[in-house]
Amino acid sequence: MNAEEQETVFRRWLNDHLGLMLKLVRAGAATPEDQDDLFQEVLVNVWSSIRAFRGEARETTWIYRVAFNTTMAWRRGEWRRRRGHEKFLKFELSPRLQPSHLDSLPEREMVERLYAAIRQLPKVDASLALMHLDGLSYQEMAEVLGISENYIGVKLNRIRKQLADQLKGANDEL
Amino acid sequence: MNFEKLQKAWQCQNPGAKVLINADGLLKEVRHHQQQFRMTIFWRDVREVGVAFLLTVLFLYLGMRHHDWTDAVLALACFGVGTFMVADRLLQRRKQPASSDSLKTCIEGSLLQVNHQIWLLKNVLWWYLLPLTVALGISIGHSVWRTQNPGFPALMVGVISALFVALVYWGVYRLNQYAVRKTLEPRRQELETLLAGLDQ
Repeated sequence: MNAEEQETVFRRWLNDHLGLMLKLVRAGAATPEDQDDLFQEVLVNVWSSIRAFRGEARETTWIYRVAFNTTMAWRRGEWRRRRGHEKFLKFELSPRLQPSHLDSLPEREMVERLYAAIRQLPKVDASLALMHLDGLSYQEMAEVLGISENYIGVKLNRIRKQLADQLKGANDEL
Repeated sequence: MNFEKLQKAWQCQNPGAKVLINADGLLKEVRHHQQQFRMTIFWRDVREVGVAFLLTVLFLYLGMRHHDWTDAVLALACFGVGTFMVADRLLQRRKQPASSDSLKTCIEGSLLQVNHQIWLLKNVLWWYLLPLTVALGISIGHSVWRTQNPGFPALMVGVISALFVALVYWGVYRLNQYAVRKTLEPRRQELETLLAGLDQ
């Protein structure tokens, strides 16, 4: 794959999967500054990974992998330290545009609370919760995480209980 | 609200609507970042390995010029350290996990790398400090021995030189152990926790 093709794929992925990337970033970092940092990190890794993409996995599965691996390795403030904030501001790009654009206020609040609850989970569990909420199959989740499908169901039950505990009152039926 | 409704609300998020993206600027920035990262790694290698090989050449030159075999010993020690660093970098580069690997593979790869770094720094005495110390010891000892009428002053120069080298090396050793404690051990623990989270 030459540089031009890489650029074309990157632009398309940015267009098609920006929402997914931003969701993962918001779940991985709490403050707007950290979300900016993490988002830059994810974009760089997505760009670098394109040459290795052979189309064997779905694009979304691929992006999940890259984003999760980036989140696990990410350190708060690392990008700012490396690059300096002035240059970053020229990006004209920010994942801070929260809250999510949902119609009703209760739903919007619920999603906000859900983000906060996911951030409280251990990182691996948070990854599973995100994929579950996005409706990925057990097989896809197993593929992203590199674990057996049998584990997924057990883990998800536990995670749903944990989330229910954290969202208690607002979401009794979870 | 039940889980299905929550899931639906989650999937209805449309965070891209107001995001302003300057794709050209972004691409430029990403490329720049990648290039900068490559250059940082390149210059780190040049600094660490290059100095070792430069000293090898320097000591070989001095040895030939002054017909002093102890310079050849120093050159050999520097060459050994440099070669070890190159071999280690090449081997480790092959084992580096890709960001598109599965999470488990990526964590396992990172853990292997952190463990290797810890091993490297904990054993810095054996692969870095000791070869250079022995070579320097031989060189200093030989200089003192060679001095005509080796009396008290010559002996003192030798002892002070040896003490200075020992102090510098002790500092280097302590610094490496501090890096292990402060950065690498916590990272290893973090990765082990993540891996355990996947296996539980």
